[in-house]
Order: sequence, then structure tokens, then C-alpha cells
Amino acid sequence: MDNNFKGNERILHHSLPVRLFHWCLVLGFLPAGFTGVILFFRPFGEAGMHLAMQVHIVGAWILMVACTLFFLLCPGRVVAFWREAFHWTKQDIEWMKVGGGYPQKMIFLQEIDVPPMGKINSGQKMMGIMVFFGTLLIILTGAVLYFALPLVPKEIAYYADRIHLIVGLGLFLCICGGHIPLGIYNWPEFCSMFGDGTINAKHAAHHHPLWTQNEIEKIKD
Amino acid sequence: MRYSYKEKEVKINRREFLGFAGVIAAVLWTGAYTVTDLIVDRTKYIKMRTAGLYQDDEKQAKRQSHHNQSLLNMYKKMNFQPLSPLAEELFHTHYVDRSVL
Repeated sequence: MDNNFKGNERILHHSLPVRLFHWCLVLGFLPAGFTGVILFFRPFGEAGMHLAMQVHIVGAWILMVACTLFFLLCPGRVVAFWREAFHWTKQDIEWMKVGGGYPQKMIFLQEIDVPPMGKINSGQKMMGIMVFFGTLLIILTGAVLYFALPLVPKEIAYYADRIHLIVGLGLFLCICGGHIPLGIYNWPEFCSMFGDGTINAKHAAHHHPLWTQNEIEKIKD
Repeated sequence: MRYSYKEKEVKINRREFLGFAGVIAAVLWTGAYTVTDLIVDRTKYIKMRTAGLYQDDEKQAKRQSHHNQSLLNMYKKMNFQPLSPLAEELFHTHYVDRSVL
């Protein structure tokens, strides 16, 4: 594609399975994360902590089922994500050096030139790798703590608990401190993910020039 | 149609498919093997410990604590009875829940 789009043309940025998966992450990870913090600090009485644990378990089930189904039913998207997240070039390093121009935009209200990005930028690649392995770890360790606590030796239970706590807290902080604020800041992208999945083509060509040049195609009438 | 463009289909080549399947199989197999091995080991130690306790028990001439001559001597010397208030005070233990990590 040559990136010369008309003003009102739209691109399907996130397909329905991807949006449903993302909704499941919101409905699964966020309640599990909030209640995980509550379970760590134990601010409530017995009934409150019990409720927090029940919400934590329901959130974890949603997360686990959603991830499993997405892996099984949408392997193409998983492979596409994997290829993009692990493909780092000099442009990514340059992008990271200037923080994608976000500090300049958000603090000094100035736009600077940044290297062209694909569907996800270098910060999202870094976040994606952390979320990929982090989620895998919290699901595996959570499954040990939920299904097999009386069966496994004490050492396994201890390390599963530590890994679940540290990785879970780390991910929750990254999501709440980075992903959510930046997602809301990039409002058209936010609307695309939580809405009909489409994005204005000119906006996409500005923010994802490599993606619009190489990875999209016109729909046949 | 609400949009004019979409992403090209992602094609997974045979090498990528085999790589993914291999990595997933290896991770699952290693995890399952490690956990199974640890549980088998733990069960083995519990069985060995149980056998050792039975073996110790079989060697004893008197196998019940209320027949233990040392204990009977102690009660006689200290001048109190099993299950007496003093025995309760000295020997009774309380349950502590250590299941919470």
C-alpha cells in the first residue's frame, strides 16, 4: 500500500476474536489483579478477604480459559504477535531512546519525529513480551496453588506462591501504570479495541506506517 | 462494510508450526515430569518414614505410652497422675494452623 488514504477510509485494526480476547483480559486480569493486591496487604476482615479470594479465583478462571481458547482457536494471531514482538531492529532501539516521543508530547506538548512503527510500537513489543511470559507464569503457578496445593511438596508450593506474587504484582503495576494510561491517551486506538475494531486509515498511516504499507490489503467488493 | 481495508491473512509455515508445537510439548512434558517426579519422591519418603516407625515400634517390648516404665516412674516420683490438672498444664499442646504460607 502507498499510505495515500482518503479522509474517511477505515481499516479493521482488531478482529472480533482479538477484541473478545482483550475484553476477557480486562474482565479477568483486572479483578484478579485488584483482589491480588488486597490479598497481599490483607486490609479487610475474614469475610472481606474471603470475598476477595472468590473474585480472584473467578478472574483467574476467565483469564485462563480465554488464553487457552485464544491459543487454540486463533493460532494465526498468536504467531503474528510472536513474529512482531520478537522482531527488533535499530529503529526499535531509536524509538525506545526517545520513549516514542511520549514524554515530549505529554509533558512539553511537542511532537518530535520518531522512527516508523508497525502494528505495535517498541514499547508495546516490550510490554507484549512481559505479558506473554508473565501471564504464562501466573497461570501456571496459580494453577498449582489452586488445584494442587495439598499434593505438591512444600518447596514447590513456596516457589509457586513467590513467583505468583512477584510476577503478578509486577504485571499489575505495568498494566495500571503504563498500558492503561497510554491506551486511554491514544483515544482512537482505545475506541478501536473496545469498539468495532476499526481505525481511521490516515491515523493508522501516521502511527503505524510500516503496518499500513506492508500488512494490510483492500477488501474486494 | 464499515471498513475498506483489513490485515493480510497470517500464514504459518511448517517450520513455525513444528517449532511451536515442539516448544509447547517440551514445556508441558518437562513440567508434568518434574511435578510427577517430586510427588512420587515425596510419597516414597512418606512410605519409608512410615516403614521406619513401624519397624521401631515392632522392636519395642512395650508399645503403648501408658506402659512406658520411664513415664510411670516420672508420675510416681513427681507425685501426680496422667490426665490430672498438672499433667494437663505441663503436657497439653495447642493446634497451630501452619497450612497458610
